[in-house]
Amino acid sequence: MKSTRATEEPAWVRRALLTAGLGFLFFFLVLPLAAVFTEALAQGWGLYAAALKEPETLSAIGLTVLIAVVALPFNIAFGVAAAWAVAKFDFKGKSLLLTLIDLPFAVSPVVAGLVFILLFGAQGAFGPWLSAHEIKIIFALPGMILATLFISFPFIARELIPLMQAQGKEEEEAAVSLGASGWQMFWRVTLPNIKWGLLYGVILANARAMGEFGAVSVVSGHIRGETNTLPLHVEILYNEYNAVGAFAAASVLALLALVTLAAKTIVEWRMKKETAMLAATLAPEKT
Amino acid sequence: MSIEIRHIGKRFGSFVALDDINLSIPTGELVALLGPSGCGKTTLLRIIAGMETPDQGEIFFAGAETTHLHARERQVGFVFQHYALFRHMTVFENVAFGLRVKPRAERPAEAEIRRRVMALLGLVQLDWLSDRYPSQLSGGQRQRIALARALAVEPKVLLLDEPFGALDTQVRKELRRWLRRLHDDMHISSVFVTHDQEEALEVADRVVVMNHGRIEQIGSPDEVYSNPASPFVYQFLGNVNVFHSRQQGAYAEVERGESLENSPGQATAFVRPHDIEITHQPADGALAATIVHVHPIGPVVRVELQHASEIVEVELSRERHEALQLTVGQPVWFRPRQMRVFDVSQPPRPAAEKQAFLF
Amino acid sequence: MRGKLCKKINRKYPNHQNRFQISLCNLMSIKSRRVLPGFGLALGYTLAYLSLLILLPLGGLILKASELGFGQILDIALGERSLAAFRVTFVASFLAAGVNALFGLIVAWMLVRYTFPGKRLVDALVDLPFALPTAVAGITLATLYAGNGWLGRYLEPLGFKVAYTPAGIVVALTFITLPFVVRTLQPVIEDIETEVEEAAASLGASRFQTFGRIIFPALLPALLTGFTLAFARALGEFGSVIFIAGNLPLVSEIVPLLIIAKLEQYDVLGATALAVVMLAISFGLLLTINLLQWWTANRHKNAGGGKP
Repeated sequence: MKSTRATEEPAWVRRALLTAGLGFLFFFLVLPLAAVFTEALAQGWGLYAAALKEPETLSAIGLTVLIAVVALPFNIAFGVAAAWAVAKFDFKGKSLLLTLIDLPFAVSPVVAGLVFILLFGAQGAFGPWLSAHEIKIIFALPGMILATLFISFPFIARELIPLMQAQGKEEEEAAVSLGASGWQMFWRVTLPNIKWGLLYGVILANARAMGEFGAVSVVSGHIRGETNTLPLHVEILYNEYNAVGAFAAASVLALLALVTLAAKTIVEWRMKKETAMLAATLAPEKT
Repeated sequence: MSIEIRHIGKRFGSFVALDDINLSIPTGELVALLGPSGCGKTTLLRIIAGMETPDQGEIFFAGAETTHLHARERQVGFVFQHYALFRHMTVFENVAFGLRVKPRAERPAEAEIRRRVMALLGLVQLDWLSDRYPSQLSGGQRQRIALARALAVEPKVLLLDEPFGALDTQVRKELRRWLRRLHDDMHISSVFVTHDQEEALEVADRVVVMNHGRIEQIGSPDEVYSNPASPFVYQFLGNVNVFHSRQQGAYAEVERGESLENSPGQATAFVRPHDIEITHQPADGALAATIVHVHPIGPVVRVELQHASEIVEVELSRERHEALQLTVGQPVWFRPRQMRVFDVSQPPRPAAEKQAFLF
Repeated sequence: MRGKLCKKINRKYPNHQNRFQISLCNLMSIKSRRVLPGFGLALGYTLAYLSLLILLPLGGLILKASELGFGQILDIALGERSLAAFRVTFVASFLAAGVNALFGLIVAWMLVRYTFPGKRLVDALVDLPFALPTAVAGITLATLYAGNGWLGRYLEPLGFKVAYTPAGIVVALTFITLPFVVRTLQPVIEDIETEVEEAAASLGASRFQTFGRIIFPALLPALLTGFTLAFARALGEFGSVIFIAGNLPLVSEIVPLLIIAKLEQYDVLGATALAVVMLAISFGLLLTINLLQWWTANRHKNAGGGKP
């Protein structure tokens, strides 16, 4: 006779929940993922490769990478600075600042794009001045970078703030008391402590930056070969009933998503391992 | 309700938590499971409660087999070390929980629930806290609420896992006395786990000393303290001086007097610090030593002696200390009034003699 | 310590509004907080960045909206087409968040409490909707649920038309917001002390009673947080929905799409009005989420069994 433990559900409940949970994930995650690649390869590898080699697709890939690469350093600098200020110091209005950092998570990407049009568009606040000086922001690269920054900047800060709060400031204070300068303290004490968290944030921010559709769509103007990122290109091809082309481009983005997931999982394991190690070595002696 | 534990064994991976445990607890007894951490005492308690299933062996409640009965059907009251109070419920709702989850046919009416919960809260003297949440209580109060909650379902057996472990000394002492009184009033079988020998000796009717998943000794508090069955029990209950090698002092005498023909194997002699007599003159069988430290600690004075290469700990009453006038560096003689010798090659059984007055 | 000292000084000389003393106390308290360098630089950079990227653009939006006035904004938002769009957006978001609350609870429970082959892979895969660009999700789901798609092929003969209907919006939003509930619940389920469940069992509660009375109340704040996060994200979602929705005005048109439609018709003020309403809703939800999280963290803070 097998007895159920006090903290376990009866076996039939466990089976039912597993079936429901895994079934849900199968229909909503596995099936779409499989469909992307199946559709991309529906007409064979030859057409798939040809679709990827289209100059417009290639230029869309290039633009996507360019925007992500430009946005990244800004996001890192902001994430580290904001986390440093919020986690290590007390000041008035901190919770307001945190709410502001969270805002892009809650704002619709379409609204995020619209606000830049209102500022820099032809009828926008700075519109006349910009056109007088022949500076193009909307329907051009700068606007797309701004929109990307808007929707991707919270990721690194949100990852680093709780991490740095949990780590406290004793180590940094020790470094300063031992005579380290600000930069020495940052490079030798702070950065090694947060490197995995930072990398985690970078992975998430990058995925968002490369995959953003709504905000970039509003400010891009959809100029083929010029202001067309890969997600926008997917839309154009799909609307032209070029399923293979659309799904070929989509498969590149899906691969990017899988790489993101893998990298994220690896970083998570590393972080878990390191916190476990730290907890073991720094734990107070048991009496 | 009596509890009968037969041949219980439990492993966690390769770690043997319990090895062939046999124990019988008659109705109404208050039993302490005493031992160092990792000795299996909590695992045994959890097996009795039905929260852990044994790999082998059986458990009988009042003669009926309960080994595979689910925890909720055992009618066991369990008090957790960290109380495990339901944090989103008031004190009242915590205590009422066991009554509210009864099947409709057995569930008392609301008024009856109210009456019984308030009676229990009165019993643990916390009826004025019934509307509070657990987070608003002190540790000692939480512990008493946990106890009231366990008692609400009128369990046949009360199990307590390190009930006072997380409390500070003052509260602990008070609760100990209180638990003893409560047990005497309720008269149900109770088992509690502790690593604190003082707690076990003070509260329990019977003490079960455990080590490495085995029972070392079962006996009344007085028995286990003054007549330990094994070196482990000797060392675990109270301070003790251990004389190891046969070349050294006391043990040479032991060997000559007792176990010459028995075996030349290694043996160990155990002497309690308060069983050592200090004199200024050499006496028959006494050993020479030098005084290293004298610490008055409350009612007793602890004296450390240097004998050959070993430190010997002695406890004297204040009167005796004043009569002796000991000072550091002074040469003195000492001899045990009472000691035990265990043959190390056969650890569980005392070697040869029961009480050794050797010297 | 310094705070104490200041109080002491102030208590000792209650009537001496001694400037020097006060400034000394302030100075000391500031110094005690700012042992570490870089506060000015870090906060300065943060504020400058936020001002340029968030406050200035949002300020611009509100400025533009103020050209309209409250009444006109309301008129636009409550117009027939807008109202229908708001209704579709809210209902679909609510349903998607609800589906995720139910299945997210099951998935989170299963990932924490059960063991099954491939569990780590499944756990990693849960984040797919965060990593997969929304446009990809959109065209894929549209293809899956279309009449000749893998799923639509079986659903349409049964009378369930998903693609190009409001039901498609719910499907897309369910996909997009799937990780929120799972990821908010997982750490909370991990933190439930099994002792509490054992206590309930030893008091005679069945597993269902333990779940209903002990576990579910403990999970409720996190479940609500996850639900609200999913709901907030769903309201603003654009990329995945437009491909599967059919985008029929009054039927399956969502608010973000209507904003773009107005923008493309050069109705900037109309777009602005809708955007301001959306922004206000976002703010409200963000506030709710913060309150819920605060509730989760502070409810019965040092309760139950925590060691002192």
